[in-house]
Formats: sequence, C-alpha cells, structure tokens
Amino acid sequence: MADRTFPIEGTLDLTPAHVHEHTWLEVLHEWVTTVDHKKLGIMYVLYGFFFLLVGGAEALAIRVQLAEPNNHFLSPEVYNRFFTMHGTTMVFLVGMTIIFGFANYLVPLMIGARDMAFPRLNAFSFWMTAFGGLMLYYSFLGGSGLYGVGNAPDVGWFAYAPLTARAFSPGNATDYWALALIVTGVGTVGTAINVIATALSMRCKGMTLMRMPLFVWLSVVTSGLTLVTITPLTAAQIMLVIDRYLGGHFFDTQAGGSAVIWMHFFWIFGHPEVYVLVLPAFAIANEIIPVFSRKAIFGYPAMVAASVGIAFVSLGVWAHHMFTIGMTSVSNAFFVLSTMLVGIPTGIKIFNWVATMWGGKIRFATPMLFLTAFVFQFLLAGLTGIMLAVAPWDWQLHNSYFVIAHFHYVLVGAILFAIFGGLYYWFPKATGRMLNETLGKWNFWLFFIGFHVTFDTMHFVGMLGMPRSIYTYEADRGWGHLNLIVSIGAFIQGISVLIFTTNLLWSAFRGKVAGNDPWDAWTLEWAAASPPPVYNFPTEPSVSSRRPLWDLKHPEDPDWKYE
Amino acid sequence: MSEEKKSGSHVETIHLPAPTAWPIVMAFGLMLVFAGLVTNIGISVLGAILALFGAVGWFRQVLPHEAHEDVPVVVERVVIETARRQVERIVVDEHHREHFPLETYPILSGIKGGIAGGIAMIPPALLYGYLSHHSIWWPVNLLGGAGLANWHHPSTADIAHFYWGGLAVACAIQAVVSLLVGLLYGAMLPLLPRHPIILGGIIAPVLWTGMIHATLNLINPVLDSNIAWGWFLVSQVTFGLVAGWVVSRQEKIQTAQSMPFILRMGIEGSGLTQEQDDEDHKA
Amino acid sequence: MSTATLIPHATHAPEQEWNLPSRGRVAMYCLIIGESAIFVIFVVAYIYYIGRSLTGPTPREVLDVPIFNTICLLSSSLTIWIAERSLERNKIRLFGAWWALTLVLGAIFLVGTGIEWHTLIYEKGLTISTNLFGTTFYSLVGLHASHVIFGLIGLSTVLIFTLLGKVREEHSERIQVLALYWHFVDAVWVVVFTVVYILGR
Ligand SMILES: [Cu+2]
Repeated sequence: MADRTFPIEGTLDLTPAHVHEHTWLEVLHEWVTTVDHKKLGIMYVLYGFFFLLVGGAEALAIRVQLAEPNNHFLSPEVYNRFFTMHGTTMVFLVGMTIIFGFANYLVPLMIGARDMAFPRLNAFSFWMTAFGGLMLYYSFLGGSGLYGVGNAPDVGWFAYAPLTARAFSPGNATDYWALALIVTGVGTVGTAINVIATALSMRCKGMTLMRMPLFVWLSVVTSGLTLVTITPLTAAQIMLVIDRYLGGHFFDTQAGGSAVIWMHFFWIFGHPEVYVLVLPAFAIANEIIPVFSRKAIFGYPAMVAASVGIAFVSLGVWAHHMFTIGMTSVSNAFFVLSTMLVGIPTGIKIFNWVATMWGGKIRFATPMLFLTAFVFQFLLAGLTGIMLAVAPWDWQLHNSYFVIAHFHYVLVGAILFAIFGGLYYWFPKATGRMLNETLGKWNFWLFFIGFHVTFDTMHFVGMLGMPRSIYTYEADRGWGHLNLIVSIGAFIQGISVLIFTTNLLWSAFRGKVAGNDPWDAWTLEWAAASPPPVYNFPTEPSVSSRRPLWDLKHPEDPDWKYE
Repeated sequence: MSEEKKSGSHVETIHLPAPTAWPIVMAFGLMLVFAGLVTNIGISVLGAILALFGAVGWFRQVLPHEAHEDVPVVVERVVIETARRQVERIVVDEHHREHFPLETYPILSGIKGGIAGGIAMIPPALLYGYLSHHSIWWPVNLLGGAGLANWHHPSTADIAHFYWGGLAVACAIQAVVSLLVGLLYGAMLPLLPRHPIILGGIIAPVLWTGMIHATLNLINPVLDSNIAWGWFLVSQVTFGLVAGWVVSRQEKIQTAQSMPFILRMGIEGSGLTQEQDDEDHKA
Repeated sequence: MSTATLIPHATHAPEQEWNLPSRGRVAMYCLIIGESAIFVIFVVAYIYYIGRSLTGPTPREVLDVPIFNTICLLSSSLTIWIAERSLERNKIRLFGAWWALTLVLGAIFLVGTGIEWHTLIYEKGLTISTNLFGTTFYSLVGLHASHVIFGLIGLSTVLIFTLLGKVREEHSERIQVLALYWHFVDAVWVVVFTVVYILGR
C-alpha cells in the first residue's frame, strides 16, 4: 500500500518554531512590504469586503430613500452620488478585488507553486487597485462639482456622454471617476497577466492543462477576458480625460463627436465585465459542489470548453445594452442572436452542476447551501437575461427596475452567493480556523430570504414601469408598497452581512481549529498546512490526476486510471 | 526561482522573493500622478518622483539578481487521509432506461435499405405511368424534367415521350435521394429501432408524403398539378416497406446504452471496473 | 526522496520531461493582447471619425506621409532581431552594435514625429482641440509615440548594461521578451500608418 502521508524524509523536527512576539508596527511592515501571494490574496479579500460594507451602506441609503413615495431622506444630489458610487464600488472595488483575491490566494496553491509568477508585480497590482479605490472615495471630501466641494461622481456608473462633458459636469468629480478607475485598471491588468503567467508557467510536475482544477482554468479564462475588457474601458476613459482636460471632441456632439460611441466603448467593456465577475463564481462552484456532493465534477472538458466559449461569445454581445438607441434591424437581430447564444455554454454549466449533485451524498454545510442557491438563482438570472435579450421586450423594459432586478440577480444572487460560499469554504485554509456553522446558517437563510424579498419583488416594480435612477416618485404610481417590500428585504440582507462580519471576526480568533483538510477535499491546496507556510509546500508536489488528494486517500482506486 | 539548498535529502531552507516596499512606493507614486490632475500639479510631480524612485528600487531588486530570503522549512508531517474509506458506486438498474434500446441496427443497414427501396419503388411508378398515361416514361420525365432547365410548359405528349436527358437526370436524382433517405433512416434507427417496418414502411412515408402534398403547391405549383398523389403514396410506401424489410434482416449491434450509465455520461471516472478490481483483489 | 512527491506516480507513469512556457514570454504576450485592445479602441474611434470634423483643417490639407520615419521604425524591427540572434550566439559586441542601431532608429522616428507635430501645431494650426481630426490624430499617434518612448527607455537600459559589460548570453531570454515588445510597437505602427496616412487621407 502506498504511503498516504505527505512526507518529508529525513529528520523530523517537530518542536514548534521559535515564537517571536511581533509589535503591531512590525506586523504592519510585514504586510505592507509583502510579496507573498497568500498575504496579498487576503488583503484583496479584506479590502473588497470593506468596500462591500461601504457599497452596501450606500445601497441601504438608496433603499430608504425609495421606500415610500415623495421621500426626502437623501437630497437629490447625494442620491445621484450614492447610486453612482454604489455601482462603481460594487463592480470595481468589491467584485474585481474579491475575485482576484481568491485567484491570488488559490491559484499557486492549487497548481503546487511557491508563489505567483511575478510576486513584486503582484504587490504592485494590489496597491494600485487599493490606492485607486481610496482616490475614488477621496472625492467625497476633495472633489468639486456642480454642487460645490465634497462632490463624489454623480454621472451613473456607466457615465454616459454628453453628461460627462465639461458643460454638464463642471468641477472634477467626473475626473475622479475616470482617473481613479484608470489607476485600478492598471492594477487589474497587472494581476490578470500574473494569473495567466502563473497558471501556464508555474505548474508543478504532472499538472497538465487538462488536470488543472477548474478553478484555475476559470481564473485563466477570467484573466484573459480581463485583458481585453478592462483595457477598452481604460482607452475610453483616456479619451474622456482628453475631452475634459485638453478640449478634445471624442464625445462632444457640438463638434461632430458621438455620444453613442461612448456607449459602444463602455459596453464593449461593460458586458464582458459581467463575465469577468461571474466566471470566478463558476470557478468557486466548480470546486465546492463536487466536494460537498462527494463526486467528481461532471463533464470536466465540457466545463472548460463552455468557459472558453462564454469568454469568446461575451465579446460580441455588448449592444444588447443599446437596443433603444435606434440601431438597424440587422444589428438588433445580430445582438439578439449572439446574446441568446450565451445561453448554450451557460446552460451546459448549469446542467453539469446539477449532474454533479445527482446521486451524490450531498452535505449541506454552509458553503454548499450558498452554492446550491447560486445554481438556481443563476438559472433564473439567465432566464430573465434571455427575456431582455429579445429586442422588443427590451424596448418595453429598458432602464426599468426589471433590468436592475435582472443584473442584481446575477451580481448578488450568483456572484455574491458564490463569494460567500467560497469564503466559508477557504476561510479554514487561510486562517486555520472554521467559520462558525450556526452563524453561517443564520447568515445564509437571512441572506437568502432577504435576497428574494428584494429582488423578486423588484422585477414587478420594473414591469409596473418604474425607471431606474429616479430620485423619488408620486404616490399614485402604485409602486409604493412594492418598494417598501424591496427595502425591507435589503435590510434583511444587511443584517445577514453583519452576522457574517461578526462570524468573520469571532472565528478568526475563537473559531474551531480546522486542520489541513476540514472538508475532505481533493485539490492540492488542502495538502498544505492551514494556514500554509510562506513556501506553501516543503517539497514540490507532483500530481497525476485532477484530484491528487483523492488518489492519496484512495490508493486502491485512484483517478489516474480513468482519466 | 526556487532553487533549494539541500543537505542530504532534506530541504532546510527555501529561496523565496524577499519582501520589498518598492512596489507600494511606485503604486502610490503613480496614483499621485493621476490624483495631481484633479488636485494640484505639485502632487503629480511628487508622485512622478516617487514612482521613479519606486521603479529604480524595484529594478535593483530584480537585477542583476533577484533579491531572495531563505525561509527555513518547519517540518511538519501532513497526513492526507480520509474518514470516508468506503467508495460507493451509484447503482443504476440495467433496465432503468429501457426506452433507450440496448441494441440497434447499424447505420449501414439504413443505407442498404435505402438502395433496395429506391429500386423497389420504380415498378409501381412505371405501372402508374403505363396505366394512367400509357407511357412508362411519364414518371421518369416528371422526375427528370425537374432537372432540365428548358422544360417550362411541357405538353402531355412531351412528358410521355422518351428523352435520354430526362432518364439520366431521373436516375441520378433517384439514386442520390434514395441514398440520403437511407442514411437518414439509418441515423434515426437507434432512436426508434424496434419496429423498422412500421416506422420506415408506413409512418415515415405517409408523414413525408403529407408534408410534400401540403407544401408543394406553394413551392412548385406546376409540378404539384402533375402529381397523382395516390400513386405517389403507393410508391413511397413501397420504398419504405422494402427499406424496412431490408433493415429488419440485418444483424443488430449493441448501443452505448449497454454500458453502465455512469460510464456513458462520464459522471464517475473511477470505479467502473470495480467488479473486476474486486475479483483481482480476491485472486 | 522517492516519497517526497504527493503521488508516487512512478508506479504508473514513467518520469517525463516537464517543460513549461517561460513566464516572461507569457506575460509579454498577455501585455501585448491587452495593449492591442487599447489600440483597437483608438483605431476604431479614428476610423469612425474620419471625415466627420465640422471644421478644417482636413488630413489631406495638412498631413504628409512620413515615409522616412516609417522605414526607420520598421527596419529597427530587423536590427533588433539581428541583435537577438547575435546574443544567442554569444557575440556580445555585435549585439551591442545592432542594439544601439535599433535605439538610434527608434529615436529618429520619435524625433521625426516631434518635428511633424511641431509643424502641424505652429505652422498648420492643428491642435488637439481644433476639430475631431486633431483630437483623434494626436490621441492615436500620441498613444503610439508614448509606447515608442517606453520601448526606448527599455532599450537604453539594456544598452547601458551592455556598455557596462553586464549582459551575457544567459540574459538572452529576458532580452528577447523586451524585443517582443519592440516588435509589437512596430507592428502597431503599420496599423496606425495605414489608418492615419492612407485610409484617413
Ligand atoms: Cu450585457
């Protein structure tokens, strides 16, 4: 029988390492100068989580404002800033950072590497993203705009021209938006390059491309997509800065420029960006669902192909955000069809997840609860997406709360649920302690209920005709009660996130000690200690199947015989 | 990058990139360059200087040699094992999906049937021509004429006359269509293999005759007005019956369905040969 | 150390050679893909706005085709390639010479662009805010020029190290990665040149 230990041959020094009490300044110095992918990954996630709380607070303020007709909880100016900052924060400072945090932490561990391909570039990228976010939020204090000093960006997260022209957005609040996002964009591209180089060039022995965990595969696809989506946004923002600072005319309709071309450029970024965010959610699902179903992932090659397919198709669908601008019917038809095409690879994925669960011994621990909800909520989000892909339907509901409900179903119902699941799943690896399961159950059920109260109801508000981005509404519109329900649901989600925060803090110090492999999982990261030492693995691992730990745990029945 | 110092067989320290502050300095500098645009140009200048320092410092970290620190390995015995020693198989009853047949006719049999049917439908067609229009060339020209470009408004006498061109085109069309229909038949057989004669001989010909009857007067009204649909149906059913009969005389082959469901769907790679393994172990 | 691997794979798979792509090369290709996306957006904007300026001057009136510049930049791709090959064969002095020539050719291109811009701004009255042509022209050509500048900084750094005698054959890989960037800058110029000086006129 094979040796099932992870052995270091030679003398075993089991005396604990010399423990040195660090002052807080030393600890700070260590974290600021670190180039370790695990520390950077944790910082990414914490940073993203902090902004999740900030963006969430903005959302709650917006929901209070909209809870009843003719409300004046916020001033109209602050309302505009809040919905702009809410969108910008959640996409660029929360979504992007948390997913890259996961990729940073997990990709090297999963492929059996010591660190990322470019550790210093990794640190640089993180700090660019971090400083970009701080710069964006500094505008609340230092920005100036139409309403004087202390003016955050208020042009919507898509910053449509010509509202962003100097004439309509005086001051520099809009510049804060463009410049800060250029800064975070540099960081994002840096990390994307790093992830691809790591996954391609740092794999341990035997880790062929078709043996890489699906998480790594999807991180590579996400990063590749990032390379070609963030950069068009950066380009468009450079044009915007040229317009605003140097008197250029890119989006200046007075001088023959086009406002529509901004929409094209923005959505060439904006649509694939959704996939940049959701592919990591798929990645998390691909790791968690098999482990908690106690089965290998169904259709691994199909999953890889579907992910690559989604990435390519997503580059050709952007104008479905623009059905109402009056394109030719040929363009309309093209973008209707290409958008519907996305349904095929995503359908394959949902099918594969369900088939993975089929017949499995499912354990509904908190990570699995979140991921089960993820599968069904993502399916619903996809279905409303197909509804909106039909141009005439979109003409009816464009810019209504139906659209808001649809994309929040993706961003919250799919992505945030997967992120929560991922945090519960990998927290033990990063800290050595389990997150509390009781609080986790409360976290899940409250979030689940709150989510559905809010966003299911929001579809109806939208179909009743409530447009997005409006400050308030008259009582006779008949949206009042529904909006109140939406707002109540938002607060239930808020409470749930607070429970999670408590859980995070409490468990980091008092949680149950996890051990190396608390979930009885199969990928390489669970072969390292919890938390892993700086060097991850004392000796370079070597694998011969997609589930190296399965092979070790079941030497009589290893995977490599069948792959 | 990860050259390890080894003493004997035991790794004592591991080379890792040393921590460095230059990336954060450079990032902060670059951010200030941009922030200067919205605040004060002095900040941009400060930022540029910082970024330059950061870049140079970073560069010196990497060149000529990457700065490393040697991290001592804390040896720990990591045991990888599971409490779930028992590997269970998903058991699916062999007849669980009976409606997917275990055996079917090969696709080649469909092609053979198509050829036989194509030949068999010729006599009824000729009989029809002789009985209704006292010329066996009538149906030949109806079929072949469709392939002749200069046949616009042929008279009845024209259609009844013999033409080499019409015969050649008719034979070609008959051969190709018979083969294609046979191929389609063969491809469909695994889905509905149990009663090839009923399917191929009666249901399918009736269905497609109905379909052609319903649509042909839109597609080609002239051709439509020249077809005797009763006879047409007879020849189609002849084709189908003969093709079905030929198919039913072929050897059946096993479908992938006879393999376990888990293997067919790729759900579980491992354990397929469990029984053999068990026997091996016993042996 | 036979057990120091996670899986004793010698039992079923013979020890194979394990080759991975160089991380520098992968990263440079990724960077090139990302940069290409930026250029695509600027090129699309340029093409879209051809002939849409409401006021003059038009490209036909003010633009001269920079043949000499283009020849210099494109031939620098050839010289840098010869330099790479020389380094591979460990001919350091030859490498230095060809590398310096590349640098000079790139610098000539940059100076040429500077002269072109100077005439355009001070003699022909075209600035970035004059009309759409000005906006798109200076943005696109300027974006390319900024890449030439970054490339030249990289090239000079290598040249300095060469002159200090610190470049050896083993640096070949890194230098080829840098050269890849320079090839990209040249290739982009082909597109920019076609769009601005041929299509756009
Ligand atoms: Cu979209």
